[in-house]
Amino acid sequence: MPAAPFPERERIDARDKVLGATAYAADIPLPGLLYAMMVPATTPKGRVETVAVEGAMQVRGVVRVLTAFDFPALPGPPPTPATEIAYRGQPVALVVAETLEAAIEGAEAVRATYAGQAFVPLIDSPGAARELVQPKKAGNAQAAMAGAATTIEASYVSPAQHHNPMEMLSTTAVWRDGKLTIYEGTQSASLVRANVAIALHLDPAVVEVKSAQVGGAFGQKIPLQRQTPIVALAAILIGRPVKLVLPRAQIFHNAVFRPKSRHQVALGADAGGKLTAIRYDADHQQSRKGTLEPGYHESPPRMYGVADYDGTAAHVRIDTQDPGAMRAPYPHPAQFAFESAVDELAHKLGRDPVAFRLAHQATTDPISGNPLSSCFLNDCLTEGARRFGWERRPIAQGAMVEPDGTLVGWGVAAGGYPANVSPTIATLRVSADGRTRFAVAGHEMGQGIRTVIAQLLQRELDVDPARLEIAIGDTAAAPQHTTASSRGTVSVGAAVTAAAAKMRAAMAELIGQRSIAGNIHRQLATVRRPFLQVEVSTLGPGQDAGALDRLRAGARAAAGPEYPQFTSFSYIAHFVEVRVEPSTRRVRVPRVVSIADCGRVVSPRTAASQVRGGVVWAIGAALREETEVDPRFGGWLNADLADYVVPVNADIGDIDVGFVDRPDPLFNAVGSKGLGEVAMVGAAAAIANAVFHATGTRVRKMPLRIEDLL
Amino acid sequence: MKPFTYARPNSAAEAVKAFAAAGRDARYIAGGTTLYDLMKLGIERPEHLIDVTAIRGLDRIETGGDRLRFEALAPMSAVAADPVVGRDYPVLAEALAKAASQQLRNMATVGGNLLQRTRCLYFRNGAGNPSSVGVYPCNKREPGAGCAAIGGLDRGQAVLGQSEACTAVSPGDWPVALTAMDAAVEVLGPSGARAIPIAELYRLPGATPHLEFMLAPGEMITAITVPKTPAGRRSTYHKIRDRESYAFALASAAVALEMEGERVTRAHIALGGVATRPWRATEAEQMLAGQPLTAAVSLAAGRAAFAGARPGRHNGFKIELGARTVADALMIAARRSA
Ligand SMILES: Cc1cc2nc3c(=O)[nH]c(=O)nc-3n(C[C@H](O)[C@H](O)[C@H](O)COP(=O)(O)OP(=O)(O)OC[C@H]3O[C@@H](n4cnc5c(N)ncnc54)[C@H](O)[C@@H]3O)c2cc1C
Repeated sequence: MPAAPFPERERIDARDKVLGATAYAADIPLPGLLYAMMVPATTPKGRVETVAVEGAMQVRGVVRVLTAFDFPALPGPPPTPATEIAYRGQPVALVVAETLEAAIEGAEAVRATYAGQAFVPLIDSPGAARELVQPKKAGNAQAAMAGAATTIEASYVSPAQHHNPMEMLSTTAVWRDGKLTIYEGTQSASLVRANVAIALHLDPAVVEVKSAQVGGAFGQKIPLQRQTPIVALAAILIGRPVKLVLPRAQIFHNAVFRPKSRHQVALGADAGGKLTAIRYDADHQQSRKGTLEPGYHESPPRMYGVADYDGTAAHVRIDTQDPGAMRAPYPHPAQFAFESAVDELAHKLGRDPVAFRLAHQATTDPISGNPLSSCFLNDCLTEGARRFGWERRPIAQGAMVEPDGTLVGWGVAAGGYPANVSPTIATLRVSADGRTRFAVAGHEMGQGIRTVIAQLLQRELDVDPARLEIAIGDTAAAPQHTTASSRGTVSVGAAVTAAAAKMRAAMAELIGQRSIAGNIHRQLATVRRPFLQVEVSTLGPGQDAGALDRLRAGARAAAGPEYPQFTSFSYIAHFVEVRVEPSTRRVRVPRVVSIADCGRVVSPRTAASQVRGGVVWAIGAALREETEVDPRFGGWLNADLADYVVPVNADIGDIDVGFVDRPDPLFNAVGSKGLGEVAMVGAAAAIANAVFHATGTRVRKMPLRIEDLL
Repeated sequence: MKPFTYARPNSAAEAVKAFAAAGRDARYIAGGTTLYDLMKLGIERPEHLIDVTAIRGLDRIETGGDRLRFEALAPMSAVAADPVVGRDYPVLAEALAKAASQQLRNMATVGGNLLQRTRCLYFRNGAGNPSSVGVYPCNKREPGAGCAAIGGLDRGQAVLGQSEACTAVSPGDWPVALTAMDAAVEVLGPSGARAIPIAELYRLPGATPHLEFMLAPGEMITAITVPKTPAGRRSTYHKIRDRESYAFALASAAVALEMEGERVTRAHIALGGVATRPWRATEAEQMLAGQPLTAAVSLAAGRAAFAGARPGRHNGFKIELGARTVADALMIAARRSA
């Protein structure tokens, strides 16, 4: 029985954002604030021999210059200035000054000399070190492939990319009365606290991290940021608050990024045209010591119920900064490859690519052998095809031509993304004076987590929305999970439901048999109770209390997508129309229909906007974005927003978003699964598939550019 | 960034005087939309800025008489929106409207636009300072240092007019349209006023790519003039880029046609995004004269425009793209009524 949909409610922070009133970390006014600028290494690899700071100290207004020699020596690579340079742009010094201008001028005056070393710039450069990880296998793909009647095999490439949220990386640190407070945009306030404490030999108890508003993150702000301990130490040594906002080019060089990855996919179908075998080898760009797993086998095995799966994966270690998670880190590149390959197979079989996918409903996870908690991908495909008008699609390529020669193509592709969850500790306080405070884990990165919390809370309790404070992104409010892997809504949703239930029980106990009029605040006032406060903790399926300890320690505490009894994924289907100009071959994307299965949709407005944003990301990925390295020099060449080409409004057409909105019966009480990342998964392949349908040209790399179609 | 002095004269004559007094390391500044960027990137390091925006009456747009005259301080957005320019010279209006963003066009001046510097990645991102990080040799930035773009990631580089020392593209759209329309630039300098045909304002890189403009030190641009021509109405600026808006050209063509029936009597064609200076496509112009304008003829003209092109490693596609851009521009212009 499908429950009634959640009501459409506006974002609770929209007005402030439109007015520019939202205060991000770098906007917090502080008395006595000093400004900092980082000095980036100008060599791609080597050792710092000298750092001359005299020139900088002579600049009027410069207060202090910190170099590697100011930091406590630690085993392992500290996230501080170091004398070993592993990549171009690595911090060599921090100049702190009374004004931003002086800090910049001082940073320009710092002179470092290096003993350069040979470096390996690209994954196909000599010296790139391949390092296989544990393969992912199910059944016997080799035998299935050998028995296949039809096979295809192809390789696909996904480029290095940078997240480029609008909010620059920044850190503001305050050291007062033996306490360190850090303001910065992060997805992981507790992790920042734990790691800054380690880097600076501090007791975590004296460190607080505040990240009330984040101006976009997309995974860039998951790990400890390179500058954070450096700025914190500067504040401690100088005894005044210090703020650093990294210039965009330094962000390109120091932030994590989406590594370049290569994908070799082979598919086999039996005589009846059923997909029976998948072989998929993936590798990706990795730094010398980086840890981001080549986890590309997350989604492909969970899409079409294929029992025989053979997956290998490898790091390719070169000299670069650490790569990291960028929106749908594995499923986006993996599904670009896999869903392109599925399209190639359907084409070879002469099958309609929607009908082909519909014939492969998944019910179990071949990797774990457990059932999928829910998979409504076929509903996504059916509804998407209906809205798009797919039945009018000619199967041949190049068959839809406008009078002016414009080639029209329609493509489809699907995506999957793990349904993850984090344990949560939350405090709910409802006061007689009308106030409500809910303190929980979560970071507001623009995805709308506050709106989700407000939406759920108002459904559960009759609280006054105008006086609702949602305290998140703050280590002083509650232990903060890493708000990533699309687990935010699911995790806080569980906490809200649990806290509200406990609050209702506490109210019932307080009020007893009496019948008291008014909302919860009035009821408290009537019984002369200033406030009621409850604390709850929640766990993911199969988790034990150890997960809460890890959460408190700022360590990895989340679970998914494999749970003891089942595996959980969100799904999506994208339908794309492209128009390819006849002569100069510009590719336009006038319309997209995307239908998602994320279980219950708890906040329709922010959910639809997540999907629209995800599709925009995919349009950027498929047609534009790539960060490039000149192998002779290392570092990133197009390290600015003029040359790292993201889409602009004029590139985006109509994006029609729909949801299946059926609850997942097993994953959690609300029935919801994650959405923020699955939103973009598969959409890049749908674009490439549409381009194939329009032109007959199969482009197996992103970005697909004019020159690929000329 | 380093400290600089700042003056805000009230007349062009005063500005020229202030420049002469300040000496070599002075720069005029108008909208500041590109000079400030270059200063942050460590490329321009002026000691003195002479802000010309307080000068009154240097932003007029005159469309009467036998020529158009745009004073140097007219904002790009104002010229782009001028009804006469839009109706009679779409090539000019479009070249402005397809550049940068509305916010930038509101600040940027049509005079400052002429002197913007290349967007070559190695030039802009290679000064090794905290805002640009990269360290790339560049003859334009540092004469004699060498050119990293040659043999590098040269997808954006020029295929026409490049030298052993430099392959950087001349980035502006407006100068390309002005080149097609035989514009001239009025300047005021320490030794008086003069007019320069736009074709003579820009240098080829040759062995001295750091020298880009044929302006004497301290010369200030005061106005741009465009002789009126009936070809103006049958004109267009066609710009192909990596996204629909807010990007420099991969290839562009400014085209204006005089026609008799189906036949071209005179063609104006200039190329952008592909050459080291705004590039007049004389061969293509000559080839078209007297021809009926068919799709095949326009493509042949496009090919003729690139007959002398030389590809680098990754920009060979610009030759075909550029030819097709010219061909499309010709057909768009021809469809417009005179
Ligand atoms: C993000 C971005 C995107 C852009 N995209 C495009 C594009 O697509 N196409 C395009 O054509 N342009 C583009 N531009 C460039 C833009 O058009 C120029 O920055 C602008 O036209 C410069 O005008 P300004 O008045 O701001 O010049 P300023 O920055 O003030 O000055 C530029 C130069 O001209 C000199 N100068 C200024 N005025 C005078 C004068 N009267 N006499 C003598 N010297 C003078 C200055 O000394 C300086 O060297 C872009 C710029 C940006 C920042």
